Amino acid sequence: MTSIDVRDLTKEYGARRAVDHLTFTVRPGRVTGFLGPNGAGKSTTMRLVLGLDRPTSGTATVGGRAYAELPEPLRRVGALLDAGAAHGSRTARDHLRALAASNRIPPTRVDAVLEQTGLAEVARRRVGTYSLGMRQRLGIAVALLGDPEVILLDEPANGLDPEGIVWIRSLLRGLAADGRTVLVSSHLMNETAALADHLVILGRGRLLADTPVQEFIDARVQPEVRVRSSDAGALGDLLARHGHDATRHEDGAWTVRHTRAEDLGRLLSEAGVPVLELAAREGTLEQAYLDLTAAEAEFTAQPQEV
Amino acid sequence: MPFIPVLHAELIKIRTLRSLVGSLAAVVLVTAAFSALASASPDRNDPDPLFSAFFGVSFGQIAAIAFGATAVAAEFRGGALRLTLAATPDRPRWFAAKATAIALPALAVGLLTGAVTLLAGKAVLGAEGPSWAQGLRGAVGCGLQLTLMALFSAGLTAVLRSGVATLSILVPFLLIVSFVIGDMSSGIADFLPDRAGQVVLHSTWDGPLGPWSGLAVCALWTAAALLAGAWTVTRRDA
Repeated sequence: MTSIDVRDLTKEYGARRAVDHLTFTVRPGRVTGFLGPNGAGKSTTMRLVLGLDRPTSGTATVGGRAYAELPEPLRRVGALLDAGAAHGSRTARDHLRALAASNRIPPTRVDAVLEQTGLAEVARRRVGTYSLGMRQRLGIAVALLGDPEVILLDEPANGLDPEGIVWIRSLLRGLAADGRTVLVSSHLMNETAALADHLVILGRGRLLADTPVQEFIDARVQPEVRVRSSDAGALGDLLARHGHDATRHEDGAWTVRHTRAEDLGRLLSEAGVPVLELAAREGTLEQAYLDLTAAEAEFTAQPQEV
Repeated sequence: MPFIPVLHAELIKIRTLRSLVGSLAAVVLVTAAFSALASASPDRNDPDPLFSAFFGVSFGQIAAIAFGATAVAAEFRGGALRLTLAATPDRPRWFAAKATAIALPALAVGLLTGAVTLLAGKAVLGAEGPSWAQGLRGAVGCGLQLTLMALFSAGLTAVLRSGVATLSILVPFLLIVSFVIGDMSSGIADFLPDRAGQVVLHSTWDGPLGPWSGLAVCALWTAAALLAGAWTVTRRDA
């Protein structure tokens, strides 16, 4: 069992506090989405976990040890930070060979991860000739090189084509299903909702939420039901009579809040109102996230006058 | 974390960059070419048979400096250093491996350069050339001096975190300042790294430094640059 433990982690660059007393745990066996706007401190936190930056205070450990104390760390932790890290004049294969040598990873793994990331055909081409998506795949190949139990990826979907995005989704879900610890940062809501089980959300370096994805959405967004009838008048009367919070659209359909499709369907059927369309609309991660950040903005807003 | 795998990785990195292989080839070619030119028209007023044969080292060392700077500078682009240090978190050990990976090929190429230059010099100069004993000292000294300059440049690049900055300091310095001050030939100038290191390439010398003490002074400069580089790499956020 290898978790990432961040405890009271703070990092200041001069007067700016990039990470502010952050505490959370990333557990194995699930994909944890690391969300927040640009500049929220996601990348800084990842660098602190990898021992690349020195924290101002607090600790970040992997499996209970500081990253720098891990012998041959690529065998325990794989990370993608910058897709531009590979030298443009070197081939992908040579790039991976050097990294493998440094951690005594068998050279067979180099070909295995090239195959796994779909780069086998272009492995002997110089990285400078690669598209952004291919470099991103190479960065993911580096992360997978040591067959690590812990995987950290900073914005892995950047530059990937739709096919690549589907690929990385199933790759990460597979890694989590193997029991590995997977932390994936993103500022893309739909992407994160599609692949994460759990969320850690940052805003201005502070922890805003640490919660399962579905719970987060359920707690923040009321489900809605969209309903349309051939007898718009009867439908409107019925909704009004039962005190539903409903809005009528131009096309004659209604959006009914604070109810479920099952309940509304029964009501319409009992009242004999003909139904053309009845659809539950689940809350999205995006709505939940915006609700959270709106609340956060209100909470942190300073009064303009004293 | 053992040293040998890290060194192995750094040697792979050097071998797989064409610009680095190219600058090593340039060390041999430039040194031998300029030496042969100088030997073909030796300075009649101030004949120093050994330096006539090894005159090209002044130019070849620029390729050696480019080699050292480029090898380290490659780590300071596009987040490469983060990847390197994620693989090797022990930073002093990594930097030691990097320096060794620069020193080994630089020394091999430097000694080859010394041998080629000596043979070419003796062939062109004939009877006016250096004796074999002197020539051997020059060839070994040439290899050591080129290695030290490559390492000096590598250390400085780690401090400045940029190969361009390093080369724009060192190249004008070696080409201009050292030549100009060199002609005044006294005092502090004798202790500059390239001047001190090149005493070994002369048949006779009148400064305070001899061939080996000169190389030792050059080695001190190099050690200082490498320590400053290691300190910078260790202290700073990657």
